Amino acid sequence: MGLINLSSPHHHSLSQTSRLMALVLLATLPGLAAQSYFYGYGTLINLVWASFLALGFEALILYLRGRPIMPYLTDGSALVTAFLLALALPPFSPWWLTLVAVSFSIIFAKHLYGGLGSNPFNPAMVGYALCLISFPVAMTQWAGTEMTMTFGQQWQWFWLESVTGGIDAYTSATALDIMRHTKGLTLSEVASSNPQLALGLTASMWVNIAYLLGGLVLLGFKVFTWHAPVAMLASLGFCAGLFHMGEPDLYPSASQHLLTGATMLSAFFIVTDPVSGATSRKGKLVFGIGVGILVFIIRSYGSYPDAFAFAILLMNLSAPLIDTYTKPKAYGHQSKAPRSQGRP
Amino acid sequence: MTKLWDFHGGVHPIQNKDQSNQLPINTMPLPKQLILPLSQHIGNQAKAIVAPGEYVLKGQLIASAQGFISANIHAPSSGFIDAIEERTLPHQSALTGECIVINTDGKDQWTKLHPVSNPETVSKQDLLHIIQAAGVTGMGGAGFPSVVKLQSKAKIDTLVINGAECEPYITSDDRLMREYAEQIIAGISIAQLLLDQPRCLIGIEDNKPEAIIALNEALSSHTNDKASIEVCVIPTKYPSGGEKQLLEILTGLQVPHGGIPADIGIVCQNVGTVKAIYDAVVLGQPLITRITTVTGKAAKNAGNYEVLIGTQTGDLLDFAQVDMSKTSRLVMGGPMMGFTIQDTQTPLIKSSNCLLAAEDLELAPIADHHSCIRCGLCEVACPAQLLPQQLFWFAKAEEFEKAQDHNLSDCIECGACAWVCPSQIPLVQYYRFAKGRLKDLASEAHIAELSRVRFENREQRLIDEKLAKEEKRKNRATAAAAAQAAKRAANPSEQDPIAAALARVNAKKQEQEQEPKKQVDSAPKTHEQIYKELKTAAAITRTKLNKTNKALANAVAKDHELAQGLQTTVDELTIKAADAQGKLQAYEAKLGLDPEKEKALLTDVAKANALVRKLEKALATSLDPQGVETQLVIARVSQKTSANALAKHQTNLPSTLLPEQEQ
Repeated sequence: MGLINLSSPHHHSLSQTSRLMALVLLATLPGLAAQSYFYGYGTLINLVWASFLALGFEALILYLRGRPIMPYLTDGSALVTAFLLALALPPFSPWWLTLVAVSFSIIFAKHLYGGLGSNPFNPAMVGYALCLISFPVAMTQWAGTEMTMTFGQQWQWFWLESVTGGIDAYTSATALDIMRHTKGLTLSEVASSNPQLALGLTASMWVNIAYLLGGLVLLGFKVFTWHAPVAMLASLGFCAGLFHMGEPDLYPSASQHLLTGATMLSAFFIVTDPVSGATSRKGKLVFGIGVGILVFIIRSYGSYPDAFAFAILLMNLSAPLIDTYTKPKAYGHQSKAPRSQGRP
Repeated sequence: MTKLWDFHGGVHPIQNKDQSNQLPINTMPLPKQLILPLSQHIGNQAKAIVAPGEYVLKGQLIASAQGFISANIHAPSSGFIDAIEERTLPHQSALTGECIVINTDGKDQWTKLHPVSNPETVSKQDLLHIIQAAGVTGMGGAGFPSVVKLQSKAKIDTLVINGAECEPYITSDDRLMREYAEQIIAGISIAQLLLDQPRCLIGIEDNKPEAIIALNEALSSHTNDKASIEVCVIPTKYPSGGEKQLLEILTGLQVPHGGIPADIGIVCQNVGTVKAIYDAVVLGQPLITRITTVTGKAAKNAGNYEVLIGTQTGDLLDFAQVDMSKTSRLVMGGPMMGFTIQDTQTPLIKSSNCLLAAEDLELAPIADHHSCIRCGLCEVACPAQLLPQQLFWFAKAEEFEKAQDHNLSDCIECGACAWVCPSQIPLVQYYRFAKGRLKDLASEAHIAELSRVRFENREQRLIDEKLAKEEKRKNRATAAAAAQAAKRAANPSEQDPIAAALARVNAKKQEQEQEPKKQVDSAPKTHEQIYKELKTAAAITRTKLNKTNKALANAVAKDHELAQGLQTTVDELTIKAADAQGKLQAYEAKLGLDPEKEKALLTDVAKANALVRKLEKALATSLDPQGVETQLVIARVSQKTSANALAKHQTNLPSTLLPEQEQ
């Protein structure tokens, strides 16, 4: 047998991108379950549809770009984008909303920038933000938690956006939205006047806890380091706590901020996206802190129900700058010890 | 117990050390042929001092060190020099290099050795000489001549002995420590002696309990009240055996960028090296053997072998019963940093610690690598605290300067980044490429710099030559001035060129004032003479005035002290010049001379002459000769008239008048 010439190392941990992606997909399952439990079949239908679309678009664009299809299709990155979108979009999304989001994510945000590893922005967030700006009504239709539709009803809604029996009763704005749009009242007044809010908050809390669990599993498997998510949650909690202390009736508490909306989903599945985030650990801390602060600001003063897409895209934009200023000191550069005075 | 520190990053590959560390070291029988590269170490290549056909004894010097950083090479066994020629070197590139080839004669006959049973009785200088002569180099990998480190000029407070052996599969140091613990401790004592008794820390990973026990046992019977030796058990983590990493684990210090361990008071030696130091001093034997691990699933008799330096890999693989049909990747060194070889004639050298003949699925499969997703696992793993993925992007985009800016040169090529990379990118290969290109660029820049310097030197030379000429000229001028000054020194009244000039002017002035009187006294003069003299006097005063004026302007410009004096002279001369001119005119009037009129007459004559000549010419070519002739006649008449007028005016000169008395 001929001997080959290869560069070291000849050993490998056998970790693979596809394995990392599979872990990420598995870690979303608790959150997916919680979301389905509280909001019905919508998320599941969305997930299947988004995955189908993502793989289809990925294959198509790989073919058009003249790239090998199977290796990239099986690395799981397109599926991760699909999952994140399906989980982030409202359960009541119609088919075309998901189609727009997924196609824009995969084709424009990912492949037009050079495909996996080269995209400056998180593809799922780009698709999400596009839909949020273009179709604000559809993007804020969340199910009322006290009612669930049967699978058939949900299926019908998914394709036709109407259900026999009057769907309007089934939808409501998110807890965050309610809190924002009733600024005239204090939070306690809102809570007493709107029984849905308490229910919504509970559902939202459980969904967030489920994502937190999944995130901790990923942390345990060292899929990412703790820096970005912890920095983000800490800065968001800190800002919220500070303002809540000052004006408890105007600003929701830190725990409400941390356990509503897409906080945990973003913290562990989107902020941790290595491609569009900062590189070094110090950089990841800065990145996370930036996202946290932006989320608080946009949630408190912006006009959109949740702030993650914008906060993350803005920080994606700053990632190269952060990288420039957070370059770690290499071995031997720490101390200003005297340089060699010539070989001994 | 010495406190231990941790180093950044690191990975935990599967050890696979049990394959080869179960059996004692086995001595390999004498091979038929030995191939000894002249460059087995860092530094200058040694120079062969034997010729083909020559008979050499075991341990005889066959190539001598060239320069400070170089090492001697000795014959590992007795036999005839077969050739000194290019052979494949043990290197990734599989390049060839000059080697001494020895055909062994089987007698294995030693040359005369000079053992030193008690090193403490020998002077440091002699000990260093013995170690240098024995050709001891670092046996851990890089092959740096040991004697250089042992005569450090800096104060050394810690001697670190590297027994970490962090690479998977390799167990040669493990077995060496188990079986030669006494010799290692004795070798350490010699090194301590040479370095003025620093403390010694032996770093061993905790996956080698037997070696730790063996060394501790050897230590318990060892007595050295001058300096301590301590076995430090460190956690198993690759690459703890990297020199810089081991130093950090044991002392918490980092070798400064671009520096060496001696800068922070540390010298590091491999366990195999101190054993070689012991052999060189106490046994008097030069470095001609080493322990090499043969391992991998293709090796039936995996284990450690004491081999002669220069043994061909093929011979050792045969002896260890490696089934070459099972392996397609033969690695010299460990799986993390070793390099593949294709030629089984490649010799083992002083730093060859392992031959890994892995079965095909034993090592990382040859995978197509995927895109970098910047997951950051490599950054977590990097022991040099670099940003491997950034370096990868820069290397890939050929942005070598940026790579350098991200401290590419601090990369130790340990392979931890590539080991963890989920996209299975051969990162180290990219770094080696970038390092190579940077080296090329640096040498190109160096050449460009040389040409630039050469060009600038030439320009400078031309300018210098010009300046030198100027300088010479100035020097001559100064010399002349100096001579002048010397002259003046004899005559102190003249001190300054301007003053001298002034003095000269004054002297002349006086002379001239006296001269006419002399003339008057001597003889009567004709009117013509007097007229001439007056003319000359007027001209001379004018000239003097002009000259002095110039000198004055010069002196004023230079703010010379004599400017005031010159001003007075100028004033005087102005009066004098006016006076001379006045006298001249008065005399002219007296003589009835009218220079203005004479001038006008001369002009008339010249004009008439010119007209006549012109008309004569025109007559020869004119179409109207009649008219021209008439004009010519008229012109000739006027010519004659003006000539007469001039003559008349000139004859009016009163040449017969009596000489005039000067006032």
